[in-house]
Amino acid sequence: MTIGAESLAAVGGAVALAGGLGGAAIGMAIAGYKGVATLAEQPQYLRSVIILAAIPMSCGLYGLIVLIIILTVVVPKIAAMPDPGGSGFAVVACSVIAACAFAFSGISLGSVCGSGISSLIKTRGQILTNALVLAVFVELIAVLGVVFTILALTMLGLM
Amino acid sequence: MIISPESLAILGGAIALAGGLTGSSIGVGWAGSPAVHTLTEDPGQLRNVIVLVSLPMTQTFYGLIVLILILTRVVPNIAAMPDPGGSGFAVFACGVIAACAEAFSAAYQGAICGSGISMLPKTKGAILTNAVMLAVFVELLGVLGLVFTIMALTMLGLF
Repeated sequence: MTIGAESLAAVGGAVALAGGLGGAAIGMAIAGYKGVATLAEQPQYLRSVIILAAIPMSCGLYGLIVLIIILTVVVPKIAAMPDPGGSGFAVVACSVIAACAFAFSGISLGSVCGSGISSLIKTRGQILTNALVLAVFVELIAVLGVVFTILALTMLGLM
Repeated sequence: MIISPESLAILGGAIALAGGLTGSSIGVGWAGSPAVHTLTEDPGQLRNVIVLVSLPMTQTFYGLIVLILILTRVVPNIAAMPDPGGSGFAVFACGVIAACAEAFSAAYQGAICGSGISMLPKTKGAILTNAVMLAVFVELLGVLGLVFTIMALTMLGLF
């Protein structure tokens, strides 16, 4: 067969990483153009701008974690099954959880960090801590995406 | 077969949780951007801001409840059927109810909480109670999505 259960499982991992990279790219762009406007006025806030603009990148790393877990643990397990049946498609289903979580939390992280960057000048850099606290709330949803994907794979006995 | 009825049922559960995570990310992002501007004006409102920003996160857990119910009760039911027929696709259809309810109610709860957050400095924090009350109306739709998904699964005899 052209599309085996293992290759469908690999598609699942790839979808999770693709969602993470897409969200990270859009989020960093949203935060980045606020950063350019802030640096045009006050170049000394470069350090705070770099910290806030780099936060959405974490979603790409979470996607990489899910891909590595699927490729190293789940795919060999499916390959060892005598009759995998719909297991490959079940892994794709679990990866949709991760992909949606990473893509949308990356975009939201970008908008929260972007608001923080535009407020840096008015607060003389004091907003950095509060903006990081609010960004952690969105980050939490991306972490929940990793945790729930692993939970679903474990409940299905694929991990 | 590559796509079995069980794996389609798992996709139904996964899409419910994915909808919850998507909506929570968008909602927390929509509430988080005004939160940064509120904290720029009045850093003393941090406690009220955190209460309002974390409200849209609950929809993730409604999605998780649907996923766990489908994985632990519906999938074994379908696996035990001699001829499942279209049951897997029926569970996927029920998952779409939950996914839409959680995604949109969380996103728009974020819009209400964001409006509440921008009014915090003007009202010196007194808007908190009213904003939470209005957010609960949207929360109710998320709960209804969970209840109606379980109701539809029960009416189909899959629960």
